[in-house]
Amino acid sequence: MNNINDLKSLELTVGDVFSKNARLKARNVNVFYGNNKAIDNVTIDIGSKEVISFIGPSGCGKSTFLRCFNRMNDTIDSCVVQGEITIDDENIYDKKIDVVPLRARIGMVFQKPNPFPKSIYDNVAYGPRIHGLSENKEHLDVIVEESLKRAGLWQEVSDRLQSPGTGLSGGQQQRLCIARAIAVSPEVILMDEPCSALDPIATAKIEDLIHELGNDYSIVIVTHSMQQAARVSKRTAYFHLGKLIEVGKTKEIFTRPQHHQTEAYISGKIG
Amino acid sequence: MENTHIHSSFDNDLNKLNDNLLKLGNTALDQFDNCINNFGTQNLEEIEKVIGGDIILDDLDDRVQKLGFEIIALRAPQAADLRRIIVALKIATIFERIGDYSRNISNRTKLLIELNYSDLPGVNIGKMGQKTFTMMEDVIESYVNEDDKLAVKVRNSDVKIDKMHTQYYLEIVASMQRNKKLAPTGAHLLFIAKNIERVADYVTDIAEQVYFLVNGKVLSDLRPKADESSLIIPE
Repeated sequence: MNNINDLKSLELTVGDVFSKNARLKARNVNVFYGNNKAIDNVTIDIGSKEVISFIGPSGCGKSTFLRCFNRMNDTIDSCVVQGEITIDDENIYDKKIDVVPLRARIGMVFQKPNPFPKSIYDNVAYGPRIHGLSENKEHLDVIVEESLKRAGLWQEVSDRLQSPGTGLSGGQQQRLCIARAIAVSPEVILMDEPCSALDPIATAKIEDLIHELGNDYSIVIVTHSMQQAARVSKRTAYFHLGKLIEVGKTKEIFTRPQHHQTEAYISGKIG
Repeated sequence: MENTHIHSSFDNDLNKLNDNLLKLGNTALDQFDNCINNFGTQNLEEIEKVIGGDIILDDLDDRVQKLGFEIIALRAPQAADLRRIIVALKIATIFERIGDYSRNISNRTKLLIELNYSDLPGVNIGKMGQKTFTMMEDVIESYVNEDDKLAVKVRNSDVKIDKMHTQYYLEIVASMQRNKKLAPTGAHLLFIAKNIERVADYVTDIAEQVYFLVNGKVLSDLRPKADESSLIIPE
């Protein structure tokens, strides 16, 4: 479904939904919870090594749409996803697709840090072990160290790797979850309000990390903080009532949005 | 400001900023109008009022700068709100500078009265001042109504002031060449004409800011200019 004329959703969205180096492609995606349509005909590309923010009021569908990218909505019985989503032109909703390796390719970080009730080491080592990514113990040690370093946590935990992950502070736990996600060499990282439970210092560390990781991964971040979207992402997409209203360069969206609904939302206006 | 903010106090802050800016703009307009009229009437009492009134503009500018700075720090404005505040800060400074020129023209008018400037023939400073005053009135109207078409019209009319300035420059220098005793008077008249021409330039800067406020982008084409006084050696 690459013919632009087939994309009915384009007439609804202001701005360029396409990306030159698209890694993920969503085409005419609809999501239903029972009879409720949560996502209405959304088309968008997520570029390679791109940080993009999804913003919009509560209930606009941004988290629902995010979860479509690694089929997390499969876990909700009443949820039906229509349309097409591909990663590197491979349909992720194809029956042949195994969701376990898919979720390694497209990792996820949640609103509330959710480390396993295991040691810091085992939290990071868990993914490489179940996916068979480590050749031996030494190799696993290297993956754990490298992942913790990339998540900006190594210096703080290198002397207590066997301590429980749940004993870390909220910000450290979230960085541990990011280390866990990147330990399995993902291509895309989905972040669903990753800083909403964190203080400003921990938030700044995560944002700095997102900036750094954006050099190697595609990152899609759902956030309620417009300042956060402005700080971390190159592109921003605004959702309203399940529709993708506008997408564009972040600096354009926050200085001169084209759609009046985007303007009203980011300015905190009624109507 | 068509929609209201969910935080009504944000609207109150923006309205306060806007009220102070318009007060500053209208005061600058009055000051300029009075200094041009006083040039013709030579009323010393009125001239002193303009000179003394400049401090009001300084205070209003300070108030706008403080309010704008606080709104940016506390409200994190976005999009049209952000543009409004940045534009308010810029044009407040421009209005304050226009006030400085009105005071300078008034100071020079006082000296010209002492020098008996009716001896110098030819130039019609009042006409140039009136045209500039009209531009200033229009640019304030364009800001109030967010009328970018009027703003562009004001900007493009600056070329008429430039032409008048070039013409007056040549005439005043010619008078000074004919009668060297008129040199002190002529020098002050040259400065007054230049000050008015600069005020018109500032008005066009405001017009460009209004265009940016409305459209979120700067006017891309080059502004027409016709002041050749810095390029011509009088015969």
